[in-house]
Amino acid sequence: MNSLTVYLFVALLLFCIGMFGLLQRRSLIGMIISIELMLNAAGINFMAFNRFLGPDPAVGQIMVLFIMGIAAAEAAIALSLTLALFRKLRSINIEHARDLRG
Amino acid sequence: MQPVIAQYIRPEVVAYAVFFFVLLLTLGGALIAVIPKSIIHNVFGLATSLVGVAGLFIYLGSEFLAMMEILIYVGAICIAIVFAIMLSQPMHLQIPPRLRPKVFFSFVVSLVVFISFTVMVVRTPWEQAVRTSNDWGVKRLGTLLLTRYELLFELISLVLLMSIIGAVITAATASSEKAPGSRDGEEDGV
Amino acid sequence: MNPVAPSDFVLWLTLAAMWLPFISFLTIFFITRTQLALSLAVSVSCAAVSLLAAWYLLLGLPAAQPPVEFKMLWMAGAEARISYGFLLDPLSRLMLCIVASISFLVQVYSLGYMAGDDGMAKYYSFLSLFAWSMISLVVAPGLLQLYVFWELVGLSSYLLIGFWHHKFSASEAGKKAFVMTRLGDLGFFLGIIVLLLHLGDLSILKLNAQAAAKLSAGLVTASAVLIFMGVVGKSAQFPLLTWLPDAMEGPTPVSALLHSATMVAAGVYLVSRLFPFYAASPDALMVVLAIGTVTMLLSSTMAMVARDIKQVWAFSTVSQLGFMLMGLGAGSYFAGVFHLTTHAAFKALLFLCSGVFIHHFGSNDMYDIARGGGRRLKVPMITITIAGAALAGVFPAAGFFSKESIMGALAGLPQPGWLAAGLAGAAMTAYYTSRLLFVLWFPRQIAAPHHEEHGHGEAAAHSAFGYWAMGVPLLILAGFALVLGFFGDGILNFLHWGRPPEFFHHVWLAPVSLILVACGIGLAWLEFGRKKAAQAGFLSRLPAVEALFANRWYMDAFYRCMLDYVVYGVFSRLFTLNDRRVVDGGVDGVCRGTVGGGWLLSFLQSGLLQYNLFTMVLIIALVGLYFLVMH
Repeated sequence: MNSLTVYLFVALLLFCIGMFGLLQRRSLIGMIISIELMLNAAGINFMAFNRFLGPDPAVGQIMVLFIMGIAAAEAAIALSLTLALFRKLRSINIEHARDLRG
Repeated sequence: MQPVIAQYIRPEVVAYAVFFFVLLLTLGGALIAVIPKSIIHNVFGLATSLVGVAGLFIYLGSEFLAMMEILIYVGAICIAIVFAIMLSQPMHLQIPPRLRPKVFFSFVVSLVVFISFTVMVVRTPWEQAVRTSNDWGVKRLGTLLLTRYELLFELISLVLLMSIIGAVITAATASSEKAPGSRDGEEDGV
Repeated sequence: MNPVAPSDFVLWLTLAAMWLPFISFLTIFFITRTQLALSLAVSVSCAAVSLLAAWYLLLGLPAAQPPVEFKMLWMAGAEARISYGFLLDPLSRLMLCIVASISFLVQVYSLGYMAGDDGMAKYYSFLSLFAWSMISLVVAPGLLQLYVFWELVGLSSYLLIGFWHHKFSASEAGKKAFVMTRLGDLGFFLGIIVLLLHLGDLSILKLNAQAAAKLSAGLVTASAVLIFMGVVGKSAQFPLLTWLPDAMEGPTPVSALLHSATMVAAGVYLVSRLFPFYAASPDALMVVLAIGTVTMLLSSTMAMVARDIKQVWAFSTVSQLGFMLMGLGAGSYFAGVFHLTTHAAFKALLFLCSGVFIHHFGSNDMYDIARGGGRRLKVPMITITIAGAALAGVFPAAGFFSKESIMGALAGLPQPGWLAAGLAGAAMTAYYTSRLLFVLWFPRQIAAPHHEEHGHGEAAAHSAFGYWAMGVPLLILAGFALVLGFFGDGILNFLHWGRPPEFFHHVWLAPVSLILVACGIGLAWLEFGRKKAAQAGFLSRLPAVEALFANRWYMDAFYRCMLDYVVYGVFSRLFTLNDRRVVDGGVDGVCRGTVGGGWLLSFLQSGLLQYNLFTMVLIIALVGLYFLVMH
C-alpha cells in the first residue's frame, strides 16, 4: 500500500470514472460532478508524486491548494451556467442545448 | 475464540483494512457519483468519494490538505451543487432513458484512456528527486504561499473573484432576461 | 586610354552638378512647396550651380586628358560587379554642358512662362528631377546606372507631359509617352541582360574597348540591336514615333527641354556613348542607319502638313533625330554628336519662341498666331527666324555645318541612296520650316491688336520681368544657334582627344545641299510668302497624300487597330476566357468544394457537446497510445 504505483492507479481509476461520467451523463450537474472527480484525481497524483518523488513536500501541497481554488471557481461558473441554461430551456439536459448544431 | 480473532487484528492488518476502506470510499463513491440516475444520489456519492480522497491525503502525509479537501469540496462545492439542483429543479423532470450506444462508447473511450495511462504508469522508470526539504508543516506552506508563490496566490484570488462576479452576472442576466418579458406580459394583461 | 581617378575638386564638382538638382527636387517637393518664391530660388540657384560646374568641367579640364572615372561599388554578385559613379570623357562633358545649360535656360524661361500657374512649385520640382536624372544618365559610367536614370528620365517626362493632368489629352499623352517608351526599354533591358550574362561587366569603357574582342559577332549585333530598341522608344524613331507629337500637351518649356537636350536626346546619346561598340557590328550600324532614314523621311512629310506650330517642331525633332542616327549609322561619331549639339541649341530656341507666341495668343495654330499679329513680337520673331534658318540648314547658322558633316558621312557610304534620302530630307526640312516662318511673317489679315484677350497668361506674366525672363534665354540661345557651327572643328578635335580621324569634305556637297535648301525655301515662298500666295501647300492639291501625312501615315490608326483587334480582340479575349473558365472556375470550384465540404462536415456539428468530447478524448488517447507503443 505504500508505493507510488498504487496511488497512481487509484488516481487513474478515479479519473477514468470521472471521464466516463463526463461522456455519458446527460444532466449538466452530473457532468459537473464528474469533472470534480477528475480534478480530484489530479490532486491525488500531485500528492503522490510529492510524497514519493518530489524534492520539496510543500510544493505539491501548494499545487493541490491551487487545484482546489480552480475547482471552486469552476464550480461557481458551471453552476451559474446551469442555472442560466435551465432558465432558458427549462431543462438541464445537455442534449437539448443544440443551438450550435451545424 | 477471542484470541483467534485477536491474532488477526495485528496492527499491519488493521492498517491494510483501513487503507482498503479508504480506497473503497474513494472508488465506490466515485461510481455512485457517476452511475445512478438520481442526481441526489450522485451528489452523495461525490461527497463520499471526496472524503475518501481526504483519507488518501492523510496517507500521503498531509493532514492539512485532508482538512481542506473536506472543508472546500465536501463543505462548499457539494453544497453548491445541491443548491443548483434545488434551484434548477431537475427532480421533478422525468429522467430520459439512457442511450446504450452512448454509454458503450463512453466506456470504450474511457477504457482506451485507462489502458494508455496504465501502460505509461507501468513503463515509466520513476526516479526520486533529491530532497531539498522534509518539512510537511503548515507553517512552511503559509510562508511559501506569501513569499515564493505570492504571485500565484494573488492570481488565484483574482480568478476566484472574477469567477464569482461572473457567476453572479450570468445568473442575474439570465433571470433579468426572463423578467422583462414576464413583466411585459403582466402589463399586457392589465 | 585608361581612365584616371578624379582629383578631389573634380569629384566634388561633378557630384554637385549631379546631385544638386535632386536636392532641389526633394527640398521643393517635401518642404517649400507652399512657398513659391523660395522654391523658385532653390531650383534656379541649384540649376545655376550645376550649370557653372558643367561649364567648368567642359572648359577647365584639359581636352586631351584620359577619361576621368569614379566608381563606388553598388552591388556585387558572383559573376558581376555593378558600380555607381561617374565618367567624364569628352562626350559626357559636352553633353553634360548641353543638358545643364538647356535646363538652366528653361528654368529661367519658365519664370515668365509659368507665372501664375497654381502648380508652379511642383513644376519646378519636376524640372529639377528631370535635370537630375538626365545629368546622372549622361555621366553614368555603367549601363545599369544609365538604365536606371534612363527610366527616371521617362518618369519625369511623364510627370511633366501630364503636368496639366486635369486636361484629358495631357494625361493621355503622358501615358502614351510612358507606355511607348517602355516598349523600347524592354529591348534595352534585354540587351543589358545579354551583355551582363556574357561579359559580366557593364562598364561603358570596357564595353567599348573589349566587347568586339570578347563576344562573338552575332552576340554583339544582337545586343546592339536590342539596346537600339530602347533608343527607338526614347528618341521616337520609326515604329514608336507617334508619342512625341502628342507629348506637346505639356507646357512648352517642357517640350523645349524634352526635345533639345533631355528625353529624346538620351537615345541618340546612348548610341554615341556606345559608338565603338556599335561600330564593332556593321549590321547593327546598318539597322541604325535604316531606322534613322525611314524616321527622318516619314516625320518630314508629317511636318509638311501640320498646322499646329508645336507639332511642326515635334515632327522636325523626330526627323532631326533621324538625321543624327543616320550620321552615327554612317559611321561618323562626330557628325551625330555635332548635330546633337547644334540641334539642342536651335530646337530649344524654336520651342521657347513658340512658347512666347502660344503664351501670348493662347493658340497653337500658326495661322491664328499670324492673324493675331505674331510678327509684332520682335524678339521672338527674330530669334525664331534664326533658329528656323539653323534648322533648315541655311549657310551661316549652326544647322548648316552639322548637317553638312552628316551629309559628308552619308556621301562616304558605298550606296548613293542614303545620301539621296538625306538630301531629300534636307529639302523637306527647309520647306516646312520656311513655310511656318512665312506664315508667321506674312499673315493674310491681321486683327487689330487687343491686349485683353490673352491666353492663359495673366497680367503678371506680361510684366517686364516675365517678358525678359523669357526673352533673355531666347537671345542667348540665338547666339549659340548662330555661332555654334563655327566650332565644328573644335568639337571634332575635342571629341577625338585631339587626334581626329581622316574626315572627307566633299567639295560638291555644300553647293548641292544649299541649292536643295534654296529650292525648298523657294517653294515655300511661292506658296506662302509672296503677296498673292494662297497660303496652301502643293500637297493640298493631292488630298489623299495630304490626308496620309496629316494622319501620320495612319500609324496611330494602325496602333489603334492593333490594340483593338490584336490586343483586345485576341489576347484580351483569350485572357478573359482564361480568367472566366480557368481562374474563376478554379476559384468557384474551391468555393463550392468548401461549401460542400462544410455541408458534409456540418453533420458532425451535431451541437451535442459530448460527441465533441468523445472525439477529443479518443484522439488524444490514441495519440498517447501510439507514442507509448512506439517507444
